[in-house]
Amino acid sequence: MIENSSSEPKIVKPKVPNTERISLMTKPRLILRSVLAVLGLVTIYSLVTIDMAGLKLKDAFHSLGLNLNAMFLHPNVGQDSWSVLLRGLSTSIALTLLTTLLGAVIAFFIAVFSARNLSPTWVANTLKAVMAFIRSIPTIIWVLIYSAVMGLGANAAVVGLTFHSIAYLVKAYSESIEETPQATIEALKASGVRFWPIIFQAILPSIVPALLSWTFIRFEINFANAVAVGAAAGADDIGYYLFMASGFYFDFHEVGLIVYLLLGFAIILELISMRLRGHYLKSN
Amino acid sequence: MLKVNQLDKTYGQDKHSLKSVSFTAQPGEVTAIIGPSGAGKTTILRSVNQLIRDDGGQILLDDQDIRQANKAELRKIRHHIGMIFQNYNLISPLTALENVLHGRLGAKSTLAGMFGLYSTAEKTEALALLTEVGLKDYAYQRCDQLSGGQQQRVGIARALMQHPKMILCDEPIASLDPKSTKIVMDILRQLAREKQLIILINLHQIDIAMDYADHIVGINDGAIVFEGPTEQVNEAVLQKIYRQSADAKVKVAANES
Amino acid sequence: MKAKYSSPQQFFRQRRMRLTVVLVILLLIYFGSVLLVNFNTFSSLAQIPAGLVWLFKTFIPNQHTTTYLGPIFYQLWRTLIVSISSTICAALLSLIFAVLGAKTTSPNRVLQLTVRFGASLLRNIPVVAWAMILLFSFKQSDFTGFLALFFMTLGYLTRAFTETIEDLDTEKLHALQAVGANYFQCVFCGVLPEAASTMTSWVLYMIENNIRDATLVGILTGTGIGFLFNQYFKSIRYDAAGLIVLLIAALVIVLELTSTQIRRAIA
Ligand SMILES: Nc1ncnc2c1ncn2[C@@H]1O[C@H](COP(=O)(O)OP(=O)(O)OP(=O)(O)O)[C@@H](O)[C@H]1O
Ligand SMILES: [Mg+2]
Repeated sequence: MIENSSSEPKIVKPKVPNTERISLMTKPRLILRSVLAVLGLVTIYSLVTIDMAGLKLKDAFHSLGLNLNAMFLHPNVGQDSWSVLLRGLSTSIALTLLTTLLGAVIAFFIAVFSARNLSPTWVANTLKAVMAFIRSIPTIIWVLIYSAVMGLGANAAVVGLTFHSIAYLVKAYSESIEETPQATIEALKASGVRFWPIIFQAILPSIVPALLSWTFIRFEINFANAVAVGAAAGADDIGYYLFMASGFYFDFHEVGLIVYLLLGFAIILELISMRLRGHYLKSN
Repeated sequence: MLKVNQLDKTYGQDKHSLKSVSFTAQPGEVTAIIGPSGAGKTTILRSVNQLIRDDGGQILLDDQDIRQANKAELRKIRHHIGMIFQNYNLISPLTALENVLHGRLGAKSTLAGMFGLYSTAEKTEALALLTEVGLKDYAYQRCDQLSGGQQQRVGIARALMQHPKMILCDEPIASLDPKSTKIVMDILRQLAREKQLIILINLHQIDIAMDYADHIVGINDGAIVFEGPTEQVNEAVLQKIYRQSADAKVKVAANES
Repeated sequence: MKAKYSSPQQFFRQRRMRLTVVLVILLLIYFGSVLLVNFNTFSSLAQIPAGLVWLFKTFIPNQHTTTYLGPIFYQLWRTLIVSISSTICAALLSLIFAVLGAKTTSPNRVLQLTVRFGASLLRNIPVVAWAMILLFSFKQSDFTGFLALFFMTLGYLTRAFTETIEDLDTEKLHALQAVGANYFQCVFCGVLPEAASTMTSWVLYMIENNIRDATLVGILTGTGIGFLFNQYFKSIRYDAAGLIVLLIAALVIVLELTSTQIRRAIA
């Protein structure tokens, strides 16, 4: 449309744009607009009927402003000590590392069987459906469910977090596997190579960058989840102190400090992921 | 010696792609299969190592019928049949050397294959083969950094690493320029002569086939219409191989309208 | 290029060394983490099947469960529309930020950096922190959940939209500028229509994601479906809790399928 209108002299505006607009309402556009319209209507309905619990918005935002001020401009360790908070943070990081590594290894093997180009269709589809089901249930619910089985604590947290990671990574990994060209796999099959050697010698090397990048994305998600698990299921990590500081002691100075710690770690993660990506772009 | 007897293949219900195909290919010779697009060249080649399961006939490699082999036997037979593709089909992030060594994977146990455990002798041999195809200096280069002609030569070295009795080539030069074409074809002919390999090769370029092949198999619409030494190929034979069947003409017309 | 290695053996030795180093580092990280969080790998993994069995035994809704259907459906519906509205509100704002912040359309560099920094800040504050910060001022209301999801989504979508705009073909933009279109004409006729379908995909993805996060926010702030789940779960009404889990799963899956269809249709 851009090229057309630019090649047209400006004076003949009246009729041309009209006919163009009609031809522009193609089916995809129509669907796009209807989807956006529906979402917009739902939004308006939701905002009109939302439960404010008798809130006075002005007061609430005023208090939020005060809290943000306390958090970001005057952070301190509050009830806990630096060592406690740092230990909490390192527990969260350890939880993240553990669940990501465990999830990645297990997910890879499941992904091999859920890739359509490697496994019988019915096996692949069944596995994919199971994973979609696990994925659709929020991580925190898995953690709570496992804490009911295994008792509250680190074990339940790890298992619950890993569970969701696996389901997420299986989807990502198996899609990466499916993207490797069938022909290269066939070339090795044609020389009599067995199944697992093909996986490890041909497919794995081709998809390492994709796997790394997905695993890293999951690592970030797992960190957020680890903090959440501390807050909602009482694992002894930074999330727990965050929950206590804001929900019990109402100490926003400490909340501020914890948020700064989390931000600091997030920034380090972002830098590492940029370096990793840069490294792979260079070697490609 | 490769002897194909009355091979039949039907895709789906009624797509009769190979009609009782029979021909032979001798060690030490380059045998070229030529014919129009869609005639069934690829289908023949892929039936020979059973990447495609055909419907009936015999494929005798040194008097062993490949079609009768069970899964384990088939793997063993395939290990001694090299295959070269139009698009090379190398593992692109790996080095040329590693791709050549993949030719030995078929001979290894699952575990040794998984971890890519190669003996010193195998590694030395791989380098020697790369040297043989003129790629000594590129051994440690990633394959996606090589030119098409170089990649095809890596593909040949990989096939040789299998210690093959036979090499199947499906349009190995279709993506190459004339210079690389000559290099690749020279190598293939030399291999046939020196190592007494059976070289079976699908070609679109008649001139190349005439230059390099010792034996020509002409196929049209799934049926062999000519088989004989290259000297016997003349204008009339080519006419016969490349003629469009009345059937095909109707189909083409129907497709175009 | 000349060969960098004197022999294949040396090449493979170096390869193996690198692989070994990576594996050793990963193992160290693993066991370090195991020690730190006090995790028992084998006994825990061994309990996974038992956990699933337990789940399928106790989390099965029964006849009695139907009495809970009313509140569950109501909260599910609220969760759905709050997820949608927080995403849409955030998307509208993100759109403005993204146009101001994307390299190709940004009016000036300071604005560009500010938008990037702000988005990164919003995104990297965990949703838990949002929920807890907002809870104090906005109390136990749906609005708290709405705001928590809103801020986090704002961070994500601003980044996603910025990247979408930057990925667009700059040629077209230049062509428009060459014809003499002004800034707003450029943005509204050149950028937004091109980016609309990718952006809508992102919006759909965030809605899905927000439903899952809404559960967490609900547990933390005592609202919505999360609160209901927590309540049933803690009072050992597992049949009702199980029903909630099933319904959330169904909702997310239906949404996922719908958005896949929509994505395909608008691509
Ligand atoms: N997987 C398949 N399913 C159905 N029909 C097929 C399939 N593969 C090939 N065919 C048909 O079998 C016939 C022979 O195909 P084949 O690929 O062997 O031809 P070819 O001689 O290699 O052609 P080209 O020179 O274009 O590569 C063609 O008519 C083709 O349409
Ligand atoms: Mg072919």
